[in-house]
Amino acid sequence: MQIQVKCGCAEEKCPEWAIVELQGVVEVQPSFQGTLQNLEIGQLCRPSSQENYTFTVGYHELSGSKVPLKKPFVVLKKTRHLDANQNGDSKSSSVDLEVVGIIRHRILFKARPKALISSMFYLILLKPCLFSV
Amino acid sequence: MEQKQSGCTGGAETVLNLQPNSTISITYHPHFGPHDDLILLEIDDKLLPDVLHQRVTLRGQPNEDAVLCTQSKTYSIKFVGNSNSVFLIPPVDQSALHELPQYSDEKDDDQRVVASVIKVAPGNMELVEVAPRLDKLKLLLLENPFISEEVSEKEGLEGMDEQKTNLFKWNDLIDRVQASDDELRSGLRALSAVEIDGYWRIVDEKYMGTILNMLLHNSVLNDWSLDALGEDEVVGVLESDGFPRTLGLHCLQVYGSKVDEGVGSCVWKLDERRLCIHFAREILKDGKRKMESFLEEWIQKIPDGMQASFDMLEGEVLTEKFGVETWVHAFSVSSLPSNPAARFSMLFQERPKWEWKDLQPYIRDLTVPGLSSEGLLLKYTRKTQPNSDAEPVFSAR
Repeated sequence: MQIQVKCGCAEEKCPEWAIVELQGVVEVQPSFQGTLQNLEIGQLCRPSSQENYTFTVGYHELSGSKVPLKKPFVVLKKTRHLDANQNGDSKSSSVDLEVVGIIRHRILFKARPKALISSMFYLILLKPCLFSV
Repeated sequence: MEQKQSGCTGGAETVLNLQPNSTISITYHPHFGPHDDLILLEIDDKLLPDVLHQRVTLRGQPNEDAVLCTQSKTYSIKFVGNSNSVFLIPPVDQSALHELPQYSDEKDDDQRVVASVIKVAPGNMELVEVAPRLDKLKLLLLENPFISEEVSEKEGLEGMDEQKTNLFKWNDLIDRVQASDDELRSGLRALSAVEIDGYWRIVDEKYMGTILNMLLHNSVLNDWSLDALGEDEVVGVLESDGFPRTLGLHCLQVYGSKVDEGVGSCVWKLDERRLCIHFAREILKDGKRKMESFLEEWIQKIPDGMQASFDMLEGEVLTEKFGVETWVHAFSVSSLPSNPAARFSMLFQERPKWEWKDLQPYIRDLTVPGLSSEGLLLKYTRKTQPNSDAEPVFSAR
């Protein structure tokens, strides 16, 4: 069995995806479980012209930077097709793999988070996402 | 088209091009979910052009671990988990991802730009270069070796029974063997396989011997030099003796090499070592022989003008001493598995202890990317050396 890895884009035009990576888990408040879609996780800020970033989730502020991946990732999309056989009586499935993007950088947060304690009450009331290590 | 600045959806581009002194909101995408159909695959920069130009394929049967093949190499695919939270953010304008439409939150009038996370990736796939899995090729082709009866049953090689299920064309082999195109071709060459009517076949050894003997017989009759055999002449004479042209040519390929001539028909030279190995195997096919008896018969079978020496048979025969007598039996490296663990297991079953000079011919063809022969020995054998003067001995771990 052979599956060709398809790619509709040439090297220069391959859409670049982004990764924001945290050392820890983002927890969603119980009242928001099940309705994650469109929920804000946090605020990503670039304070200066350097590639340093802060990411504020709940009452934690994470500090990190944009780093190149040591080896790029391609984003593959796997599609399963059900093909009817020539006689039409039995079906077989085939798999398609397509490159839909490339990732060369990630914004990595690995330092210990800073707790913004004074904002705690405000954030518990309004922010649906909290960060824990 | 300009994007609205108020509450509009950004994506990867917004994150990667985030300007100094700006802030964006990272949210869960409207279609956030597990999206198991989205897979991250780590690719070395050297391989990237092959991937992006559609020159790689995944190969394997449903019950096998898939491998990724370029034109000339094979890689196993492993999943590496990541305990970090990896938020994956696609770019906004994605015509390929039909189910991720743009949305804009019209209720939000502030200057907030939003980038959306489509999934949290549990890890990524990575590639490890591996040796091609060619043992299966041999098994497949030996299901139906080409024997002389096939020729006599039909007129030449046409009209072969296409209903036979254990005959394989090139594409059938690609479907079943986990190797790149180049490695598969090498594997076929190493097995001395020949393409007959589009099907790849291994010719039965006895039949090859018959053709070879006919060639040698004719070379004496026609006073041919074994160093300068004219292809057309040889193949023509063999054909009149009842051997199909493809097989006549195949005989030259198996037992000889082309001599670079340039003009006119090809010229071939028989290879002394390959011929000597062939006759040795023929003599030993029914079991072990006493060394003196073997040597006597062997030297007699070898064509005039060729020299036989016992070290030509390294990797093909082994000797044992019973008292004062030395016996020799066939043990060919080509009959052993190509997987290192299986290979060493068979070697130590044959003989529990090996000296390096005997062992080397039986492992020098083992290729494991990233592992040297010293590394192989370290991994699969136990080395003992009674004292610094003695030869080191290798045994099973």
